[in-house]
Amino acid sequence: MAEMVFGEQEQQFVVFKLASEEYAVSILQVQEIKRMTDITRVPHTPDYLQGVMNLRGSVLPVIDLKKRLNLPENDYTDDTRIVIVKTDETAVGLIVDAVSEVTSVRKDQVELPQAVGTGGADYISGVGKLDGRLLILLNLEAIIGLQSEG
Amino acid sequence: MDMDMNQYMAMFLEEAREHLQTLNSSLLDLENDPANLSVLDEIFRSAHTIKGMSATMGFTVMAELTHEMENVLDLLRKGVFPADHAILDVLFRCVDTLEQLVEHVSSGNAEAGDISELVKRLKAIAAGEKAPVASAAADEPPAAADAFVSGMALNDTDRAVVQAAQEQGMKGYDIRISLREGCVLKSARVYMIMTVLDDLGEVLKSVPPTEELEQEKFDLSFELLLVSDREQDEIRKRLADISEVEKVEISPCRVEEGEKPQPVFTEAAAPVQAVGSRVLAEKKPDQPAAAAAAEKKLRGGQSVRVDIEKLDALLNLVGELVINKTRLEQIGLTHRLTDLVETIEQMDRVTTDLQSVVMKVRMVPVGQVFNRFPRMVRDLARELNKEINLVIEGEETELDRTVIDEIGDPLVHLLRNSIDHGIESTEVRKARGKNPIGEVRLTAAHEGNNVVIEVTDDGKGIDPDVIRRKAVEKGLITAQEAEKMDANEAVRLVFLPGFSTAEVLTDISGRGVGMDVVKTKIESLGGMVDVETKLGFGSKFKIRLPLTLAIIQALLVKVMGETYAIPLGSIDSTISLQAGDIKTVQNKEVILLRGQIIPIVRLARELNVPQTTKEQPEELFVVIVHVGDQKAGVIVDTLIGQQEIVIKSLGKLLAGNKSIAGATILGNGQVALILDVGSLM
Repeated sequence: MAEMVFGEQEQQFVVFKLASEEYAVSILQVQEIKRMTDITRVPHTPDYLQGVMNLRGSVLPVIDLKKRLNLPENDYTDDTRIVIVKTDETAVGLIVDAVSEVTSVRKDQVELPQAVGTGGADYISGVGKLDGRLLILLNLEAIIGLQSEG
Repeated sequence: MDMDMNQYMAMFLEEAREHLQTLNSSLLDLENDPANLSVLDEIFRSAHTIKGMSATMGFTVMAELTHEMENVLDLLRKGVFPADHAILDVLFRCVDTLEQLVEHVSSGNAEAGDISELVKRLKAIAAGEKAPVASAAADEPPAAADAFVSGMALNDTDRAVVQAAQEQGMKGYDIRISLREGCVLKSARVYMIMTVLDDLGEVLKSVPPTEELEQEKFDLSFELLLVSDREQDEIRKRLADISEVEKVEISPCRVEEGEKPQPVFTEAAAPVQAVGSRVLAEKKPDQPAAAAAAEKKLRGGQSVRVDIEKLDALLNLVGELVINKTRLEQIGLTHRLTDLVETIEQMDRVTTDLQSVVMKVRMVPVGQVFNRFPRMVRDLARELNKEINLVIEGEETELDRTVIDEIGDPLVHLLRNSIDHGIESTEVRKARGKNPIGEVRLTAAHEGNNVVIEVTDDGKGIDPDVIRRKAVEKGLITAQEAEKMDANEAVRLVFLPGFSTAEVLTDISGRGVGMDVVKTKIESLGGMVDVETKLGFGSKFKIRLPLTLAIIQALLVKVMGETYAIPLGSIDSTISLQAGDIKTVQNKEVILLRGQIIPIVRLARELNVPQTTKEQPEELFVVIVHVGDQKAGVIVDTLIGQQEIVIKSLGKLLAGNKSIAGATILGNGQVALILDVGSLM
């Protein structure tokens, strides 16, 4: 995954906030960013799967990213956004606390997850270090996980 | 293929398929009315178009075949000879081969196929020779095989060798060997044939060449030139003894005559021409009418091809428009903007119309599927040696594109079944005092929100006792169960998996995949299939399909804060009950409705809906749903009302969700889930 993303020396990432941490996904995987909207709960699904939303006439699943990553929950605010990402032709909405910026990350600024040694490293494709900031780069395939374990 | 060509490929395929369809149906027309010039013109035009298109695309094989077809068609058009069965058979085979070629290139392959046999026959026909057709041979008496004329072209060397052999008391033979249809190891058979022939004499030449024969690059038959000192009958017998050899045609090679077709042509051409022109003269008065019909057909078919995905996108956009209109309406109401509200009312009408037009655009006449059946029925009837009249009605009935795409295979199966098992052989029909020509009817008609397609035959019908016996034999039901069944129930056993009634397995149907496949397919389309039969008088298979898979009528209900849609097709009724009306049987909640015990499903509990209120209402709304004969009462909080909904898929991530069949978008832009009623049982 990391290899794919860093095929070139520099890549652009969409940076967003979850609780106090900064996360990022490759801009190439982001389709659009929406304000919080009505989400319909779907029964018999893992709890991080918040439900489905209407995106211009098509129905997409929405994942609460904080629940997915077992981060402390808080209420949705005006800053809450749904980041629509696309992998393998599957579009999914990710609920995040706020979207902050789009930034460039160079390959040499990224450490691979083994070196970081965090738990649940499957969801992380690397950590970017920029001027003292830490950007957790997400592995979307694992997060969307068509084989959900929840 | 380079990029430029790729761009045109889709267009080529679509148009080629369309013209092939025209060829098929026009050839059928021609078969019924061999002197109809306007039909011939149409055939010629289609063949010509295909030739042009395939040449442009660089498909030389197709171009060559159509070119040869054109030559023959041109002669037919000029009335040099009439379009008899033999010629039509060859033309039909050309269309089949073209279809194969088109399908081959459509799956991304390079153009490949052997047309040498067909081209040779077409050339022979064009040269005035009577077409030697393998499939026609079944009708001919065996003696006729001696009259077979080889289409093999001999060069001077071949002729010299044969002549030299003849001087030594040996004979040259033209041999055509046809392998049985479905022969799997063609190369092995070729090898065995060659071994036998080497033993008998010397093979001078073969068409196609030996290498191609060994690589199975031939259809079912090939021709050989053999020099041997044996007698004709011995050679025939030795060859016929090889397994999977369907037919051996053999005739002494006539080298002295030089180019063989010539004499046949000069002898036959004159009388044929006379016949041809007489038929033409007779047909003259009909021509203006026919021409007018053809013109009408051309003008009626004005259309634009659109990718179905674009229509889906359009439908989505219209949906989005409707949702935004609803928002505008709300803004108008909140801010009391009368002008805006009035304008939006007008817009409302336009969007509603727009929505229904878009839905209509997705509908296609069922004739698109029916079109290919006349040809199939003709071939089957010839193969089985039955006479069958296929009557098609209601081709103009429209169905959603998605249903149309899926309905073809089940119908093929039903038609084959009727023709193979239903319709008796001509002799049996005569003996029973029936019209020797069997009738198979294929009809489509609207019935409320459904389309009903029926396949009816006037054949022998289905004997419930035979079905009972078979089902017991196959262990599908027990003897006691069989006894209890009435005739109708017994006949419906044909839909059970693993049931196949054919006494003898034929090539056409009865391969073990039976009616159960038809039933499963139809049910997956949200339809039903049933059968009615009268022993000795025929059977009727009835398919009932929803008009569209994209839009259904549904009842919207509310459970706590959540809205769900229940397909109207599976709702019996809605009733209101007092909480006390619910009884328990073995710890399960049930209600008594018109003497029937119906289990109760509390939707809120079933779907783990978060509780918003604690109080239990005294009055309960119950939606009685059914799947097959099973019923259940679903308790909901509120009934919102009946509405047409557009079904949306939940996507890969949520596919296979128990209890939810799909989703739809409501007028306010919210997503509502569609209940899978079957999962509540």
